[in-house]
Amino acid sequence: MNWYPIFLREMIQFKKKLFRLGYIFTSMMVPLLYLLAFGLGLGRSVEIPGGTYLGFLLPGLVAMSSMNNSYNWVASGLNLSRVYFKTFQVLIQAPIAPTSIMAGYVLAGMVRGLFASLMIILVGLVSGAGFHLSWLFLFTLLLNCFLFANMGVLIGMLTKTHEDTSTYANFFILPMVFFSGTFFPIDRMPKLLQYLILCLPLTHTNILIRKPVLDREGISAILVMAGYALLFFILGSQKIKNYSE
Amino acid sequence: MIELEQLTKDYGKIKAIEGLSFRIETNEIFGLLGPNGAGKSTTIKILTTLVKPTAGRALLDGIDVVGQPLEIKKRIAVVPQENNLDREMSAFDNLRLYGLLHHIPGLESKIEEQLRSVGLWERRNDNILTFSGGMQRRLLIARAVLGRPKVLFLDEPTIGLDPQVRREIWNMIRRIKAQGGTILLTTHYIEEAEALSDRVGILSQGKLIALDTPANLKKMVGEYVVEYSDRDGSRVYRMCASREDAQCHLQEAETEVTMRKSNLEDVFVKLTGGRIEQ
Repeated sequence: MNWYPIFLREMIQFKKKLFRLGYIFTSMMVPLLYLLAFGLGLGRSVEIPGGTYLGFLLPGLVAMSSMNNSYNWVASGLNLSRVYFKTFQVLIQAPIAPTSIMAGYVLAGMVRGLFASLMIILVGLVSGAGFHLSWLFLFTLLLNCFLFANMGVLIGMLTKTHEDTSTYANFFILPMVFFSGTFFPIDRMPKLLQYLILCLPLTHTNILIRKPVLDREGISAILVMAGYALLFFILGSQKIKNYSE
Repeated sequence: MIELEQLTKDYGKIKAIEGLSFRIETNEIFGLLGPNGAGKSTTIKILTTLVKPTAGRALLDGIDVVGQPLEIKKRIAVVPQENNLDREMSAFDNLRLYGLLHHIPGLESKIEEQLRSVGLWERRNDNILTFSGGMQRRLLIARAVLGRPKVLFLDEPTIGLDPQVRREIWNMIRRIKAQGGTILLTTHYIEEAEALSDRVGILSQGKLIALDTPANLKKMVGEYVVEYSDRDGSRVYRMCASREDAQCHLQEAETEVTMRKSNLEDVFVKLTGGRIEQ
């Protein structure tokens, strides 16, 4: 339970931010805008075999939103805490293991990712687009939040300035938003690009989150996501362990 | 208690500290004095596990700071130079989270005791952003002593504070020593180093250039100083071993002359030719 004080600290801050209009807007309204623009606008002209475009888009937006929020909350918060406010140093100087610091941040990032997904899930449930919650869907959502919160810690530890956090987001997060199967199936991309896209973790989230039941492709998606999460967890913990100013 | 052996830290070509070796005894207030950039904060950061040294080693209770950081962290507390309280949290929450991180038993009562001792109990639920600089410093010290650490590190504890708050903080530091604490304090305030330290180490450009009690350091350069301006306006300082000796030098001056007791600034001037307080 050494992770608990870090988690608690993040939750106290989260609670304070929750009632600010700006926060609600950035975490929930942005995916809703995507939903309106792509789902209701562009979506009319897109055909998805065996379903509606809205039914295809909604799980993708949940994956995207949970990724963005889990990642951003942790990467940005950790960078600010380390570089500007120096509050991260309080954690480094406390008698707790680097993996506990890592776990505290990751769990807090997951909460934020889940919270941001909530509104899209609610829209999906009332939209009549054939969207339904399953255990596999919830498991994928949790795993996705876990994966990208871990990535957030790693990037938060790597970045030297707050601007660097945006640079990393532009290089890694933004391409995933558009090419990993959030807005259209990846088989519509050129074959060569598809191989590259399959290397992106969000692609596997999008594969898994749309599956009604777990099959072989789903299991391999879980393995890829878990592999990435484990890699980020190990690298992030190492960065915390070897922290030196 | 604390032992530094040839401790060195480089940042590329810049040597932040170079070959520092000294001991700090139990229940001692040890002052590290030097101008900005002398290596005081780097030394504290190494001893508190924030910075890894390039060479040499530091031991606390015989435990290697780099080799067993978790064991070190159980024994120490830090008041950093920068305020690193969580700004958007209350005073109580700041101390509670610190207490949980350090596994401090009987936390609620200890928080109350510390907040009362620094006069902030009535403000316990207020956001840190509403606190003055002096209140935040007091809270940082209350947070650091919450778990009764064996060694307390204070990095420029009164920087930027007005004289009255500075003296309040000095009294807090003296109380911590009276309760058995060992303290390593960095400062570039001469008066602070003299008022608080049992022994003082003087740092210049990353090197330890003198170490002794403030009284002995002053004796080393002469207990009296005669100070005057020469013909081209440069300030002249004559270090004198005794009052009689100083009185002889009074005759040399052609302008207004001052005779006073020497201080640690004079020691620094004598040893380096520069000044500590800019």
